[in-house]
Amino acid sequence: MIETLTLILSSSVILAIPILFSTLGEIYDQRAGVINLGLDATMSLSAFVALMVCFSNGSYLMGTLTAISVGGLVALIHGFACVTIGINQIISGLLLMTLANGIADFLNTYLSGYRVFFAPLKPINIPGLSQIPVLGPVLFQQNIFVYLAFLFAIVFGFVLYKTTWGLKIRGAGENPEACDAAGINVNRIRYLCLILSGVMAGFGGAFLSLGYLGLYGSGIAAGRGWIAIIVVILSGWSPYRAILGSLIFGLGYSLAANLIGIGIGVPSYILQMLPYIIALIVIIFMFKRTKGPSALTIRYRRK
Amino acid sequence: MYWKVVMGARFEKYISYPIGLIVALSIFSAILLAMGLNPILSLGALIKGSFGTVFSASETFVKVAPLLLTALAFLIGFKARFLNFGAEGQLYIGALCAYLAASQMGGLPSILSVPLVVLASFAGGVAWLAIPLVLKVKLEINEIFPTIVLNFTAILLFNWLVTGPLMDPNALIPTTRAIPTETWLPIMIPRTRLHVGLIFAFFLAFLIYLILQKTVLGYDIRAVGLGPRAAKHGGIDFSRNIIIVGILSGGLAGLAGMVEVLGANHLLIMGFSPGFGYQGIAIAALGRFDPIGVLLASIFWSILLVGGESMQRGTVAPVPIHMIHILQAVLVLSVLIVQEFLTVRRQK
Repeated sequence: MIETLTLILSSSVILAIPILFSTLGEIYDQRAGVINLGLDATMSLSAFVALMVCFSNGSYLMGTLTAISVGGLVALIHGFACVTIGINQIISGLLLMTLANGIADFLNTYLSGYRVFFAPLKPINIPGLSQIPVLGPVLFQQNIFVYLAFLFAIVFGFVLYKTTWGLKIRGAGENPEACDAAGINVNRIRYLCLILSGVMAGFGGAFLSLGYLGLYGSGIAAGRGWIAIIVVILSGWSPYRAILGSLIFGLGYSLAANLIGIGIGVPSYILQMLPYIIALIVIIFMFKRTKGPSALTIRYRRK
Repeated sequence: MYWKVVMGARFEKYISYPIGLIVALSIFSAILLAMGLNPILSLGALIKGSFGTVFSASETFVKVAPLLLTALAFLIGFKARFLNFGAEGQLYIGALCAYLAASQMGGLPSILSVPLVVLASFAGGVAWLAIPLVLKVKLEINEIFPTIVLNFTAILLFNWLVTGPLMDPNALIPTTRAIPTETWLPIMIPRTRLHVGLIFAFFLAFLIYLILQKTVLGYDIRAVGLGPRAAKHGGIDFSRNIIIVGILSGGLAGLAGMVEVLGANHLLIMGFSPGFGYQGIAIAALGRFDPIGVLLASIFWSILLVGGESMQRGTVAPVPIHMIHILQAVLVLSVLIVQEFLTVRRQK
């Protein structure tokens, strides 16, 4: 019983991580007034890139760095289309999704000579803390990505609420005209936040292939990018609350995966619906009360 | 002055397409050259694959029907600023309802069974949009996320049914039994799969055009697109019009699933939609959210898809089909960027 519980909780933390990474980036991005709907595909593409680079030179670090650069580049296209030129952010994000998924699947099929499987990153045990029953294996016997994600959440929260940069970011999304009048370059902030969201989706993707599965399959993100955007709203655009939000969905994914493993007689396709049903419940009961940044999805042009 | 504005807008409208096509084809050629293939020969193979024979041309038009219907589904919603991202899920449920209805109608004459199946798929599509629609009207919750979430749910539900309760026990891959031949849509050209679903889709495109341009309902829908407040000032019922738009949008997406089941496949098969629902959104944008433009865009889109598939199978340019998805995304992005760029420059 205790073992099953530990297993379920420990994998909820693991499965929350890709969502948490992407959510954090998207929070900054939306706080600055741009929505990036290409997250899911960006995650898939970076997962593929991370795996390929890591496979060819054996370095997890190089794999991750390449993945986040690719994530940033994909976001840059979105930035050019809807910050510089000013086309509809929703449509642009959707086209970004088609583009990034297309590139990932194209490369995967074209290089299909490589069928890559290898061991995901090894967990690091925190001395002392990892020996606590249940809590130890759940929180302190994880790989570097997991610790990094929680660290990012705290740093992102601090920067957003306690520094001038954070104030500028919030300003760009709440009242870009006032920001501009105060001499702040609104579109530069939006670009930077957008690139950050791509980079964080890159981390999420790299975690999926290098830190969790050790392989790549077409559409590896499997809706996690969309869930991340829902977590952004669920957490009220706060990096701190994003931790809790992504853990809720991590638990959903973990229950689905582990109940399939245990075999309780419910078909696996039905169990896989669990995260989406949670998402729908969250939308129904939480979205009414939340209000996003005022200038979200509205392009800014200097008069 | 007036003349200048109108001509300027027309110029932007048309010039963006060749420019977008040039950008997309340059990237396409560059990738092919990097792969050591000849881009000219590859494009030749693409055109030949989509129009080389009567059969390949008919396959191109078989795909136009679902693409056009999902594009219209997004278009009608977009006019009222109701962004139905759930066409993919509604298409799956529409196909499911079409199959369930058709498989019960073995003995009935086609004249009776086909309209009933069409109604069933329309209702299925609407039912799958019901939750987001109610949330939008009653709680003012943005429709994008519930529709997306329901796409994933619909595909999982569909996959469960096709691999489980509805699976044909004699089949080697997860498919259902074929529907009764009485419910098949009539074929227009012998020895091809080209069915009357295409005419049906063209007719609906024309109908949507008439509704939007020539009726009071169309005027109301476009007024609602300006926002709830503007609609209220104009004395237009926001909720009522959003509900009508939602029913049309979900229903059209459901019909897209129906034409695939009754016309093209005659059974349910896992992954029968290569993302028709999402492609419909890109097609709607490419056709400038105008029913006739969307009709032309969906034919063009289908040429690329069918040509791309035959390119993938062929020997001239064995390029993965995903290359075509990249080409399509780049094309629509460049067209939209050029249009926006020219519009802003004119207004300055």
